[in-house]
Amino acid sequence: MLAELINPYYLQVLSFILINIILGVSIYITLSTGQLSLGHAGFMGIGAYASAILTLDYHMPLVVGIVVGAILAGIVGLCIGIPTLRLQGVYLAIATLGFGEVIRVLFINLEGLTKGAVGISSIPHIGRELVKGLQDFGFKASMIGLKNNQLISLSVFLLLLIITLLIIAFFIRQTNSRVGRAFAAIKMDERAAEAMGVNITYYKVLAFAQGAMVAGFAGALFAHVTAYISPADFSYHRAVEILIFAIFGGSEVIWGPIFGAAFLTAMPEILREVNEYRYMIYGVLLVVMMAFRPQGLIDTQMIYKLKQRRKKKGVS
Amino acid sequence: MILEQLINGITLGSIYAIVALGYTLVFGVLDILNMAHGEIFMFGAFMGVLVTNTLKLPLIVAFLVAIGVTAILGFLLETLALRPLRGKKGVSHLAPLISTIGVSIFLENLAHHFFGAGNHPFRTSFSEMSFQIGTVTVYAVQIVIFVIAVLLMVGLSFWLSKTKAGKALRACAESLEAASILGVNTKKMITTTVIIASVMGGIAGVLVGMAFNSVSPQMGLSMGLKGLAIIILGGMGNVKGAMAGGLILGLAETLVVVFGESGYRDAIAFALIIIILLVRPQGLFGKASEARR
Repeated sequence: MLAELINPYYLQVLSFILINIILGVSIYITLSTGQLSLGHAGFMGIGAYASAILTLDYHMPLVVGIVVGAILAGIVGLCIGIPTLRLQGVYLAIATLGFGEVIRVLFINLEGLTKGAVGISSIPHIGRELVKGLQDFGFKASMIGLKNNQLISLSVFLLLLIITLLIIAFFIRQTNSRVGRAFAAIKMDERAAEAMGVNITYYKVLAFAQGAMVAGFAGALFAHVTAYISPADFSYHRAVEILIFAIFGGSEVIWGPIFGAAFLTAMPEILREVNEYRYMIYGVLLVVMMAFRPQGLIDTQMIYKLKQRRKKKGVS
Repeated sequence: MILEQLINGITLGSIYAIVALGYTLVFGVLDILNMAHGEIFMFGAFMGVLVTNTLKLPLIVAFLVAIGVTAILGFLLETLALRPLRGKKGVSHLAPLISTIGVSIFLENLAHHFFGAGNHPFRTSFSEMSFQIGTVTVYAVQIVIFVIAVLLMVGLSFWLSKTKAGKALRACAESLEAASILGVNTKKMITTTVIIASVMGGIAGVLVGMAFNSVSPQMGLSMGLKGLAIIILGGMGNVKGAMAGGLILGLAETLVVVFGESGYRDAIAFALIIIILLVRPQGLFGKASEARR
């Protein structure tokens, strides 16, 4: 019964949705201080390549690779974030766009390390490693009536689900904390926030580095779920794709990019014909959203109304 | 050898300058970075391929078709993507940027759909023609490109400084509100600006097709980023800066190829963007207060 329900293909789609949700959260953090970054594909690439190279060439455990990848992306984010602080709005967007492309060109040209445009293949797969670990404990797929590849996909999905939920929980907590309020104040009005005693330098760099780190983390996971990465995975298209999660879903509340990532990743899978026109639809979506609903589908007002309704139901 | 490379660099640079002029015009008047400019440029290049290669018509027709199509694209860009955002309350200054990113990604994939992903050759009747001056080989294409580029730049400078419409455009660049109070039809002026900028992109597209003999849907993005690098280098909204910046970038790229690091050729533009923004955000020729917003 359970065995028939678990289709590795659906689980893989769900895993990609989860990775994209993490990416959506990463752009949300940066956007929540009013900074538009087009370099998240670059940060994602740094995390992915760092983790892939560490696990393949230096035979590090997966956990080390992923954590180092995320931290490295965070450090690079810090290095980019501090000098670009003096840039605002469109200038920051362009600088980060330039950064992303420099990273991509580096991936292509540092052939000794990254294998150039061909990309790195046969990266250790999270699911296989997990199942191998389980087998060492004497746990086998057949014990719960599953085939081996079903267990692999299932374990990937469950692991990603736990990680994603932890990340979302962490950032919901942060949004309601002093840090989150500082972010919101900076987004509303930087000067007013500064006058109120918010250390805008600190919080802006914090948001940027956090975004970079989460993106790098998602990139590292991506590398170990697909087992193959190439510079084309981290191009301008990817940066726009990450951005559109937040633009479409909404960048005011964390549920916006989560919804955006889930919906936009699932849509081409459900409607096969859509896949071919995916980027054209993305383009139209960006224009339409900006013209009619620049804050995204889910905004604070909608969340507020939902909460009110729930309260009313509770009373009656 | 080095002289030939210099000529290559100047040819390339003059094309870059035209692309950058399109950016700088729109930015000067609207304070918007038109991220779709690179893709409009790419459509111009494809029109060139379509007319000269598929329909076997002369080059001048290619230019006319490219001008027509990019003018229409510019008009659509203005009416569909930019105008709805203008003057709307609560729209952040990032909205037009994101909107034009949407247009760019749409156009790129539209071209992908129509023309396929591969490179298209672009042949003209004088592709192979070259002159031998001393030890230096100069291709006729290079001369044609350079002449057209210079004509465009001189024409644009003249139009901006001497004609009534050009003056109105510069007034709009100073301040849209003040210009409209003084009786300039700003709506019309903005549309004109976007169309002119797009047409310059289209012409540059045909020129690039001639120069490199290959056209692909991906060329819009890299050229767009180079155009951005140039206007940042030359100062945002600065017409002369865009011309000088174009030449500088063209020469720098060919020099990198001469020194054998051709893989990093495309990275120059992006690295330039970052360095200039950090060290001198107003650009080489900009005024101090302009870029700090």
